[in-house]
Amino acid sequence: MFNFLNEIKQNLKIPQGLDLNGFNLINIAGNLLYVEGHLGLVTLSKQQISFKVRKGVIIVDGEDMILNELSDTTLKICGKIRKVEQI
Amino acid sequence: MKLKNVSKFHICGLNQEKLLNELCTNFTLFEIERVSKNDTFFECSYFDHKKIQKIIKSHRVKIESVSHSGVVPKVMQTLSSYGLMLAILVCGVLYFFQNQYVVQYQVLGTENLSKSEIVSFVKGEFSSKKSEIDTTQIENALIDHFARISFVSCIIKGQTLVLNIKEKLLPTQMYGEFPPLMAQKDGKVTKIELVSGTLRVKVGDIVRKGDVLVEPYTLDASGQLKKVEAKAEILAEVYFEGTAEHYETFVQTFRTGEKRVQSEVLLFGLSIYNFQQEVPFQRYETETEFQNLSKNLFLPFKMKKTMFYELAQETIVSKFEDVEDETVAKAKADAEQKMDSGGEVVDEFYTVRHIGGVTFVNYCIVMEESLCEQPS
Repeated sequence: MFNFLNEIKQNLKIPQGLDLNGFNLINIAGNLLYVEGHLGLVTLSKQQISFKVRKGVIIVDGEDMILNELSDTTLKICGKIRKVEQI
Repeated sequence: MKLKNVSKFHICGLNQEKLLNELCTNFTLFEIERVSKNDTFFECSYFDHKKIQKIIKSHRVKIESVSHSGVVPKVMQTLSSYGLMLAILVCGVLYFFQNQYVVQYQVLGTENLSKSEIVSFVKGEFSSKKSEIDTTQIENALIDHFARISFVSCIIKGQTLVLNIKEKLLPTQMYGEFPPLMAQKDGKVTKIELVSGTLRVKVGDIVRKGDVLVEPYTLDASGQLKKVEAKAEILAEVYFEGTAEHYETFVQTFRTGEKRVQSEVLLFGLSIYNFQQEVPFQRYETETEFQNLSKNLFLPFKMKKTMFYELAQETIVSKFEDVEDETVAKAKADAEQKMDSGGEVVDEFYTVRHIGGVTFVNYCIVMEESLCEQPS
């Protein structure tokens, strides 16, 4: 099946040795954040949603955020997204 | 109503992230909204809601509410309404049982036969259960039992048994008791066109109203009398006569214009007050009128008014020659009043007779008209 993110990974000239298999994260217009490869929620509130990924935690700050969809590997966050940070 | 089958949970408790992480390993959750530290709303597929409920309970998180939307939840809710289902079932059973029986009988086309007699016969002889009814049998039985029925058709429409009956014609209705053709007016026969029957008049005969014109039978070669409908077109000169009289001398009485009034108040027919003017006239005529003085029925006072009009007499002398045209016109108008609408005026004339100071004018209008109305 065609996967847009896999196509990008294959076609871009990426330096050797970089690990691109952890997770994918797409921010659409600051209002929708699509995440593939999450490993579980850490916090959930309207202002902050954080979740585990391989080798770290992603913290999403924003306003009126809701978790639009949550499945085993993917999640979608809707709302005003101010900041996406990996720690 | 949403078509998507969705269950919406409202949960309340601590450490909800852990619960959500566990849930999302097996189910997809939607619209997860944390409204406060302990309260979260989320949606899931309706078909997963029971499993999710079980998992939530195992985490000792309180479920505040669960609501469902979509077609399947509505259907399931209806099916779980036992009262409604029972009512539908009972109605269905009742409908099924009563639908097997004829509950109404409809009889059409009877004029002389009694509908109730036919219905009671059918009810008595045949079952009302539809599966046991043979419409052909009913038709045959009705024809056998009722001599007056010539044709009957029977159908079952819904829960009604419809009997369409045609009654036999009686001999008199079949062959007819024909009346003779009679003259409707006085006249002189001018033209005859016989269609059927035996003529009793000929051209030139003078007939009076009520005379028989055509008899309702014919005689065949063997002398046998055969009843037929009397039918003919008979035209005749019909006379319409009007009269007017003229008196050379006559006394005319007229009101002079003088009058007197006498009033009387009545209660239950008894006079309780009266006012009577003296009547000085030698000749007079009176007019009386009653008037209600009160509108209630307790004391129905009435006013009786009697008017006395003075009369005078005058002797008028006139010669017939002076008013001949006027008198003839009066006689003609009288004759025209008696005329029917149809027909063609053939001739008109008048005669004048003088007898002892009185002149009689007879005006006659001759028309050609049909003497008789044809039976329809």
